[in-house]
Amino acid sequence: MSFIQNAIDNAMSKSLWLYHINAGSCNGCDIEIVAALTPRYDAERLGCKLCGSPRQADIVLVSGPVTLQSRDRLIRTLAQVPEPYCVVSVGSCPCSGNVFKGSYAICGPLEKYCHVDVSVAGCTPKPEAIMAGIAQAAEILKEKRKEMHK
Amino acid sequence: MSVLTILGKVLIFPGLLFTLLAALWLAGLDRKLVARMQRRVGPPLLQPWYDYLKCCGKETIIPRKANRTVFLAAPALGLASIFVTAMLIPVGGVSIFSGSADLVVILYLLTFASVMLIIGSAASGSPFAGVGLSREMVAMISYELPFVLVMLAVGRAAGDGFCLAGVTFSLADLCAWQSANGPMIFRWSLLPAAIAMLFIIPCEVGQQPFDIDEAETEICEGVLAEYSGRPLGQFKMMHVIKMYVMSSLFCAMFLHIETGFLLADVVIHLVLCTLVCFVSMSLPHAITARFKVEQIFRFYWTTVTALAAVSLILVWCGV
Amino acid sequence: MENLPILAIMTLFMGAFLNSLLGRRSRKVGNTVVFIAMALALGMMLALIRPVFFEGRTICYWMGGWAPDAGWAYGIGLEVDALSLFFGLIVTIAVMVSGVYSFTYMARDDSQVNFYTLFLMLSGAVLGLVLSGDLFNVYVMVEIMTFSAVALTAFRNDYDGALEGAFKYLVVGSIGSTSLLVGTILVYANLHTLNMAQIAQLAPSHMNATMVTAFAFLFVGFATKAFLFPFQPLAADAHAVAPASISLMISGVLTKCGVYGIIRLTYDLFQNISESTVSYLVTGFGMVTMFICVTMAFNQHNFKRLLAFHSISQVGYVITAVGLGTPLGLSAGLYHAINHTLFKGLLFLVAGAVQHETGSLDLDDLGGLSKNMPRTTALFLIGAASISGLPPFNGFASKWMIYQALFEKAGSTGNFFYILACVVALLTSVLTLASFIKVTQSVFFGQRRAKYADVKECPAAMRLPMWILAIFCVVLGLFPEQFGNWFLRPAAGAALNAEAYAAQMLGGSTAAAGAAEYTLIGAWQPIVWLLLLVLVCCAMTIVAVSGRRSEPEPLAEPDVEDEQVLPENAKYEPFFSGEESHYSQVGGSDLFWGFKENLKKYFSFWHDWHSGIVNDYALYGVLCLAAVLCYCAVFL
Repeated sequence: MSFIQNAIDNAMSKSLWLYHINAGSCNGCDIEIVAALTPRYDAERLGCKLCGSPRQADIVLVSGPVTLQSRDRLIRTLAQVPEPYCVVSVGSCPCSGNVFKGSYAICGPLEKYCHVDVSVAGCTPKPEAIMAGIAQAAEILKEKRKEMHK
Repeated sequence: MSVLTILGKVLIFPGLLFTLLAALWLAGLDRKLVARMQRRVGPPLLQPWYDYLKCCGKETIIPRKANRTVFLAAPALGLASIFVTAMLIPVGGVSIFSGSADLVVILYLLTFASVMLIIGSAASGSPFAGVGLSREMVAMISYELPFVLVMLAVGRAAGDGFCLAGVTFSLADLCAWQSANGPMIFRWSLLPAAIAMLFIIPCEVGQQPFDIDEAETEICEGVLAEYSGRPLGQFKMMHVIKMYVMSSLFCAMFLHIETGFLLADVVIHLVLCTLVCFVSMSLPHAITARFKVEQIFRFYWTTVTALAAVSLILVWCGV
Repeated sequence: MENLPILAIMTLFMGAFLNSLLGRRSRKVGNTVVFIAMALALGMMLALIRPVFFEGRTICYWMGGWAPDAGWAYGIGLEVDALSLFFGLIVTIAVMVSGVYSFTYMARDDSQVNFYTLFLMLSGAVLGLVLSGDLFNVYVMVEIMTFSAVALTAFRNDYDGALEGAFKYLVVGSIGSTSLLVGTILVYANLHTLNMAQIAQLAPSHMNATMVTAFAFLFVGFATKAFLFPFQPLAADAHAVAPASISLMISGVLTKCGVYGIIRLTYDLFQNISESTVSYLVTGFGMVTMFICVTMAFNQHNFKRLLAFHSISQVGYVITAVGLGTPLGLSAGLYHAINHTLFKGLLFLVAGAVQHETGSLDLDDLGGLSKNMPRTTALFLIGAASISGLPPFNGFASKWMIYQALFEKAGSTGNFFYILACVVALLTSVLTLASFIKVTQSVFFGQRRAKYADVKECPAAMRLPMWILAIFCVVLGLFPEQFGNWFLRPAAGAALNAEAYAAQMLGGSTAAAGAAEYTLIGAWQPIVWLLLLVLVCCAMTIVAVSGRRSEPEPLAEPDVEDEQVLPENAKYEPFFSGEESHYSQVGGSDLFWGFKENLKKYFSFWHDWHSGIVNDYALYGVLCLAAVLCYCAVFL
């Protein structure tokens, strides 16, 4: 049955359903994520599709510095994503808190709450950068899947 | 007919394998075409297949509020019923059970598949699914009325003077009539019915812009909100095969062409299916945004029903 | 053999008598008496299957040996042909199931001895009605039936509206009974006989204005008993408050009496179903009934009220098919009649089980019961799939036959009316499905209120009758050909052959009625589809199982209600857009908003029409009678 497993492993990196969590972002990165899906950049080339429920997500895009208000919601949603999945942080905020760092309302960085597989830096990152991040996450997904059935 | 022949028909042609391949071809092409119409490169042709395989590789989460048995059984049953529906539709004049291919049975099996989607989502216990299933059901009520009228119009057109009852719902009869008298769509009185049917196809399949039941931006995938992993893959596969089934049904009802050579017939069938799929599903998908639920209902019970009814009355008057 | 029909009726009446005599002391003795009476009646009906259905005999019995003299029937007779026995079987099976269910279901009520006495009176009356060969006896039985049904409806008079429902039933039901009586009198005045066989012999040659009036009165009388439009509000009010086992009786048995009456009336007594005007009348009644009732069901919040409207809607199907006057149509109607008793009975019993365990029937209040009552849910799904006509259950087989009968009739007469009927029937089927989705979602699936967290599965003694009905639902759906050959063809043949009906009773000849001839086109072979479905399911399972080992197989965690779940442990909580999950159920009345919004004028019209005022309902009844009288006077 190993050829089926191989096929599934390969499909893992070719079909990427994105779920987007806004953890208190200023909406700048969100716009860029949407821009990556537009005809100009066309993330669907990589098999990407936005999906509406974390249950179907393969790659979770997190933008924003993880505010106090969004923390529980972020953790809850991430817990509901089925294995294997990748977390891609979009923009500088989830990595470092960016200009919001030190605010009483910020409980970031994102790494405190989950393992971040790919970080796309920038304020805001270009759509190309986001796509490169997704492409990297695709390879990581494949490795994760391989480890799951070892 | 020996057991082996039946088994071959069920498993290979025109059964499981052929349906699967044709459906994957149509669904892949649909996504590619939509992308090309929006000047994108689009996903690879095999994308629906990758999606399915990917889903098989993911974890299946069964929510705590869900009814486990129904939650897991519904996708498999839905997929099975849609496969059975596909087997009832003759391809190139070959059907598994000749003579029993019946439009009413097909109608009910299609309904059964949708019901499985609804029941499965109801069993998941999610409020989003509750909204989604209500929309799916309203969509079903919407297209079912014109669908019935189209069926009756076509049945009467083929049945008049052709069979004893005067109305036939048998697809085998329809195909036989069309090989004798040319495709139905060339009969001008049936043209409105054919147009109505082209509208019915995307709604039955749940293709954009009629995918109100799983509108991912408003109600978080609606009916599929709690589905993950393999059951999700089965529902996605059901959607893909429905695309083929509906296109194929349209071809059998309106565009049946027989040359006598099986291979040529099958190729023609596939080409026509692709054409129907393009006109009825890819085009609206690329050019329109999602409808609202009450718009769908109003549109189908007025415009589309009127089209189908005009055809029915014309055919009944012997035009 | 000739004594069996009268014995069966008398057993039930005697059971009622003995129960009230012996059951006062101990309920066990009473229940034993009731059970024995029901079982004996059922056994006698089953014993008649062989001679009547397979050997084609007609059982005639003259009470007190008052056989006809010089061609005139003076005595009271019982005539059991295949049609009567068909309905007799429906009745006795439903009585048996309902009675066995009641033993557990009614266990918490007091004055049960009265309940079972009335119950057996009702059963005996209904059985007497369908086996009777005498028109006046039919009327008498209708009266006994109506009054015991009224009393049983009000049996749980602590329920809100129980007395009101019973009162409406009493008043409007009396209009029907009176109408029957007037019809009977007119027939007697004209033909000087009350024997149905003799009426069948004389009526076609003695048609005059009086007979037409008699026909109209009799038709409306039976239509009232079948709760056809505009009498459906009664059924809704009565069903909502009656105990579930009585709801089964009202929907499965009492309405069948109306159906039986209409079949006898149009096929045998007046033999005018072949006239297109009568066919329009009957089919039109059926069509209107099935559509209006199914849309009314959309508005309901009460589980049993919703079922009540569906029940009438399905009777509308039966009447539509019966009105076609073709062998296929009649067989389809009979088939749907028995299926209706089975699946509707099953659904009412499920509703009863839900009520028994939760104490509520409110669709906006219940929810998520499938985890507490998995077996009941399975039973409900079988019933719902059957009534919605999903393959491979019985509702599909009989509805399919009805569609076929409709379009065959439409094709052969070239008449657009029947096409309309076909469209309405198919649409009704979808709407039925929609409202059962509503029930499924708002009672069994979806989310559960905390107060229903420790609801238990209903007792096995209540599930047993439900399983019997469910198994019948599946079996009848899988073997329509065999069932048709053994039961439907003889029964339809008996109804279609009025000469034989008359001759058998009056001793003219012993010619058998013969079986109705029809062909099911399309070679509908459910077994084939079942095999296919199983095959494909197997394929699916294999696909699903392969490689499962490498998967983590997560199991749903034990159910904890109202407990704070930490965000990290929210994996198995329903997705709530990141919020903490709380009770959120899409209520029954909120489903299908898009549909109701567009048709709100239609819905509000019918909502106002069902005013709940008994005067209005009586007025509708009288207006209906007047309309039918006018129609018959003009066209017959």
